[in-house]
Amino acid sequence: MTDVHAPQSQPESAAAEDEAARSFSLDQTGTAEGGSGRTTPPPAANAGWLRWGWRQLTSMRTALVLLFLLALGSIPGSVLPQQGSDAGAVQQYYASHPSLAPLLNHLGLFNVFAAPWFAAIYLLLFASLVGCVVPRTFRLVGAARTPPPRAPRNLARLPHSSTYNSALAPDAAVAGAAAILGGQRFRLRRSASDAKDHWVSAEKGYLREVGNLLFHLSLLGVLLSIAAGGLFGYKADKLLVEGQSFSDTVSALDEFHPGRLVSGDDLAPFSVTLNSFTANYIDSGESRGQPSNFDAGVWYTSSPGAKPGTYHIRINDPLSVDSLKVYLIGHGYAPEFKVTGADGKVAYEEATPFIPANTGNFESDGVVKAPDASLGFMGVFEPTVFSANGTLTSIFPAADAPAVSLIGYYGNLGMNNGVPQSVYQLDTSGMTKLSGSPHLLTPGQTWKLPNGKGSITFVGVKQWVSLAITYDPGQVPALVCGILALAGLLLSFFVRRRRVFVRAVPAASGTGSVVTVGGLTRSDASGGFEEEFAELAAEIASAEPGNKSENSGA
Amino acid sequence: MPVNLGYAHASNDFLIAALLIYSLAVIAFAGDYAFGRPKRAAAQAKTAAVSAKALVTVGAADGAGTSDSTGTSDTSDGAGTSGSAAAAGDVPAEALRPQQPVGAFKAMWEAGPWVRWAVALSALGALAHLVAVITRGLAVDRAPWGNMYEFITALTCVAAIFFGYIVIRYRAWALGVFVMGAVVLALGLAETIIYTPAGPLVPALQSYWLSIHVTAMTLATGIFFVAAVLGIMYLVAERYRKRIAAGKTKPGNGLIDRIPSAAQLDKLTYRTVVFGFPVWTFGVIAGAIWADQAWGRYWGWDPVETWAFITWVIYAAYLHARATAGWRGARAHYIQLLGFASLITNMLVVQVFITGMHSYAGVN
Amino acid sequence: MFKAKRRTVVTVTAVAAALLGGALAATLLTSGKTNASDTPGNTVEYQAGQRPLVPNLTGKSLTGASMNLSSYRGKVVVLNFWGSWCSPCRDEAALFAGASQQYASKGVTFLGDDVGDTPANALAFTSSQGITYPSFNDPGYAVVTQISQVVPVHDTPTTVVIDKTGHVVGTIIGAAKYSELTALLRDAGVTQ
Repeated sequence: MTDVHAPQSQPESAAAEDEAARSFSLDQTGTAEGGSGRTTPPPAANAGWLRWGWRQLTSMRTALVLLFLLALGSIPGSVLPQQGSDAGAVQQYYASHPSLAPLLNHLGLFNVFAAPWFAAIYLLLFASLVGCVVPRTFRLVGAARTPPPRAPRNLARLPHSSTYNSALAPDAAVAGAAAILGGQRFRLRRSASDAKDHWVSAEKGYLREVGNLLFHLSLLGVLLSIAAGGLFGYKADKLLVEGQSFSDTVSALDEFHPGRLVSGDDLAPFSVTLNSFTANYIDSGESRGQPSNFDAGVWYTSSPGAKPGTYHIRINDPLSVDSLKVYLIGHGYAPEFKVTGADGKVAYEEATPFIPANTGNFESDGVVKAPDASLGFMGVFEPTVFSANGTLTSIFPAADAPAVSLIGYYGNLGMNNGVPQSVYQLDTSGMTKLSGSPHLLTPGQTWKLPNGKGSITFVGVKQWVSLAITYDPGQVPALVCGILALAGLLLSFFVRRRRVFVRAVPAASGTGSVVTVGGLTRSDASGGFEEEFAELAAEIASAEPGNKSENSGA
Repeated sequence: MPVNLGYAHASNDFLIAALLIYSLAVIAFAGDYAFGRPKRAAAQAKTAAVSAKALVTVGAADGAGTSDSTGTSDTSDGAGTSGSAAAAGDVPAEALRPQQPVGAFKAMWEAGPWVRWAVALSALGALAHLVAVITRGLAVDRAPWGNMYEFITALTCVAAIFFGYIVIRYRAWALGVFVMGAVVLALGLAETIIYTPAGPLVPALQSYWLSIHVTAMTLATGIFFVAAVLGIMYLVAERYRKRIAAGKTKPGNGLIDRIPSAAQLDKLTYRTVVFGFPVWTFGVIAGAIWADQAWGRYWGWDPVETWAFITWVIYAAYLHARATAGWRGARAHYIQLLGFASLITNMLVVQVFITGMHSYAGVN
Repeated sequence: MFKAKRRTVVTVTAVAAALLGGALAATLLTSGKTNASDTPGNTVEYQAGQRPLVPNLTGKSLTGASMNLSSYRGKVVVLNFWGSWCSPCRDEAALFAGASQQYASKGVTFLGDDVGDTPANALAFTSSQGITYPSFNDPGYAVVTQISQVVPVHDTPTTVVIDKTGHVVGTIIGAAKYSELTALLRDAGVTQ
């Protein structure tokens, strides 16, 4: 810094320069209430309570505390199983922590992000945000309309200043400086042309506050977009075996989660047929067994009778139908079985989805229910079977050597009492296990059941996919608000609000003047004002006609 | 697509080379710390005394105080070199005309042989590091941040290059031993414990969004990495400063006296976080867009998503704290370090141990 | 002074709006409704004059023959949506088997729509339960989608009673009870 201290300041100008400095202090909050952090004692009168409470809510300290609470409150939502994403894991947690789990449930810890206390945190945070942002918007508009303050008398007291001699008279020197500053799009305020002292004040960088406000308001926009999506959107899941099709109607869907204002009648009547599903796996090298590609070839129609289209749904490539999207979420094996009853008639023939127990080698579990022959089977399917010491396992996820091990049951499956059952679970309480269980079958083989109960044939292997259908009208607005937030953030960080003052007094020698340039920045997050000021000062000094400074180069 | 083994091996070799070169650079930075700085400080004190005398005598213009404007690393903030005030008004023009600052490379050269070697070795190491990252990408025919090992390798490369930028912009070579030391540690960890051989990506990661989302997260992590190191240094410096002020310790000539002042570290840390925060924000947004593409929803409170959110909130708290009286000093830095701890937890604990849709680390 | 007051009003309004929006968000983020869990035996009746007209449902039967609803115009139709995998359907199967015989001479036709099933499984079901009337083979819920345009069929089982002119008299959601079925048949003009 090339600071040179100027002569002692006059007492009566201290006020003016204080005004310039303090109204532009480095305290970034700019509000007396907000930045103090001092606890003001609550007042006695009732209306005063409200105001005190309001000040506390919109203070920075409260924002800090609420931000911490938000972060802290999110932690259990990531560590404990959550109802919304994995209800099965929640059940497992109950099973393994029987005394702790109900307490955690009472505190809402299995559905943290929908819990009232979590909502309270972010609602208070947004209330604090709005209560802070709106007054600041008013203040910004006001500040944008008022001209910059008068130049302080003693510019050398500012954080950045420099002085040089000029050959021009004071008013000409100041005019030249003003021209340069104006050319850099500073807002200017000049001393009156007939006044005794000559100065110019320049200010720039309102976009910083604009960016700040834009950022905070956009966050609010994101919240509202999420709310809109929750109101008007829906999510659904459907499991499809190769060859199957489904239409988008509530009873067809395995799961349907409508938003509050959505009913089953609002579903678009499209239909999807799964023609084939291909999963490729790496078969050699260090990544053997890792999937390399998934491809679900489908036909679809957007409404009954419309012309069918074809598409290949892949993991990062959903199908768009109208304003819906259909995603490939998971896949598995559906071994096909044919069951005949004691009378020899076919009681069951279907490709039965089995659920993978291990997504590395795709060993899968499933259940075959043939109630009309009073038969039920629990099965373990191995895509590439390998027997190690009598234990069956699968050594590769592709169906290269498929086999299924079945345990058979005979009796009442409990399906006639009207209580819905899971298709993946067999209730064996009213059944007896068949001797000869477990029985291993490879494709084409038949197990003739003991005591003439019938037979089960392992016909072949198909695959299934699980599709997710989503409709979210708040998606695009959320994205737009997110991008606006980012833009606001960048503006607020990299634009700096700064003031530059130039003062010229006649030189003691009689000709020319002594020009002092001073600079002040309010918030300099990215740094760089020092260089900017140095360059500005150098440019002002060297721009005088016929006065080429030897320091004007870099 | 098969892995190009030639490039894969080249990547490993270049990474080991980078590690070795970085280690030498850290030694050079340490050498500057121990030997170079005291010399510079002594030289500067001499120049300051000379120029102060010169100012008092009118007419002697010898470019007071501008020759070694080494910025934040050596000069303490605020203390002008101008000694007693000169006479009013009539000041020699040439001496006082506003000067352009001295160029960074010139300042680096003038800082002494230790600094020259340290910076040169760091640059060379960073180059080797960059080549390692690029060849890894060529080996697997995709952006080379598809698993934990690749991610750490890439982010330390970002940290090293970003630190290079800081060195040039803010003349901060005094921080080299700490930042580059941390890089060496992290890289060593990656090479030994977390190493994963080059291989193709699982289908869920086969998307151009990998280049966007994970790149942004890698960049942001690298930047926050540097900020965390600076934050730790700040806390050490601040504690030492307090102890001196309380009279508990006398300022001496030990290692701790060579750390740049707490105020400078505070400013530098702030500016680093300011740089990293928008990148992290962008990374989260890009991740949400990709999640919508792959999983059908742009935000599902998946554990990794949740921790990325937590990290974001904590860094936001740091930025708010810096604008709140009573929270500006060490407290704010604790918050910033908490944010980085949350980031590391996300990377090393949540991604690896908590099952969710983000379990792509490749680490078992 | 006035300006400050206006500012306060605007600020307070904005905060209230934010709170309201946020409260809305909080409740909406918990969109928790899954499949409409109506209690079984829930009857929905349509008054005369407000009965929706069913479109012509077309498809193939379980044995492969083509089926369409309009061919039964002039008779009262009881259309039962069922599946062999569905426990409540098994529960009500005996009722439908018996009722279809009982009302056959009274101008009532019973039809089924077998959803999410294979023909083999479905035929095993109908033969073991004694159901002789034909059913649409509807593994992909296409017929369900057709009728859902006019009347919601969101559950399995659901029973829809259609009068002689092809308008819906009422629906029974879940396993049907005999009294509910006869009540709807009465509405359709069928004498006991």
